Amino acid sequence: MKVDGACHCGDLTYEAELNVEQVLICHCTDCQAMSATAFRVVARSKPDTLTLLTGKPSNYSKIGTSGAERVLSFCSRCGTNVFSTTVGDGPKVHSIRVGTIHQRAELLPVAQMWTRSEQPWVNSLASIPKFKEAYGPPGGIET
Amino acid sequence: MKVDGGCHCGYLTYKAEVDETVVTVCHCTDCQNLAGTAFRVTAHSFVGSFSLLTGEPKEYVKTGGSGNLRIQAFCPECGSQIYSTSVGDGPKAYNIRMGSIRQRNELAPTRQIWAQSALHWLDNLLAVPKYQGGPMKS
Repeated sequence: MKVDGACHCGDLTYEAELNVEQVLICHCTDCQAMSATAFRVVARSKPDTLTLLTGKPSNYSKIGTSGAERVLSFCSRCGTNVFSTTVGDGPKVHSIRVGTIHQRAELLPVAQMWTRSEQPWVNSLASIPKFKEAYGPPGGIET
Repeated sequence: MKVDGGCHCGYLTYKAEVDETVVTVCHCTDCQNLAGTAFRVTAHSFVGSFSLLTGEPKEYVKTGGSGNLRIQAFCPECGSQIYSTSVGDGPKAYNIRMGSIRQRNELAPTRQIWAQSALHWLDNLLAVPKYQGGPMKS
């Protein structure tokens, strides 16, 4: 599936072809810390299909549990987390952060990883009161 | 509830006191985009209780749906999302991104907002197969 996307401020834009069988929810503590929410959702690209159209991301390297180094990219201006990939030469598969993909509403996660560190309440998400828009004082609350 | 936290690389650290009775899941498209995932979870600090202990966050200002300007702060080294707050002077409340809080397992959301833009598969989250570890890189 061909997709395109961007960070919030628009500096970084990309296009890619996804492997739609690899849309994954990740509950690992690294993903929790960097996205700073309950879990990350990523869509994996087919090898070497991600093309950066505009902008230059900031890169941060971390060592995964496997011992392999991963490069995690974000927008230096607005901080949006955009994708991660391997280091070194060879075909690159990018794990694209779904919140940056324009077509994200069409993507369905196929697996949840690292559930041993999942936030306990995520299984009860449906029971948390929902409001269509903002809630609270006039003007709403802002997140 | 007193909490402390920081970014992934450790450059930014903070402490704060948050209202554990109001923890918000936000499904707005700005939160989806900036966090790069399905939704954001935010704990709200009491006014004047947030202190940055180390580091200098990068701030990005966006205009909210209300028309108000909001500061969105992140780590310039690792890109971790940290907080949002109001612009201008005066004592401030901070909306702290839950994944940056060390005690996050003790907090649970009490409300979901902007549900009109929630990703539809979240209603069937329990049906998505689970793996304890990680077969694939995220």
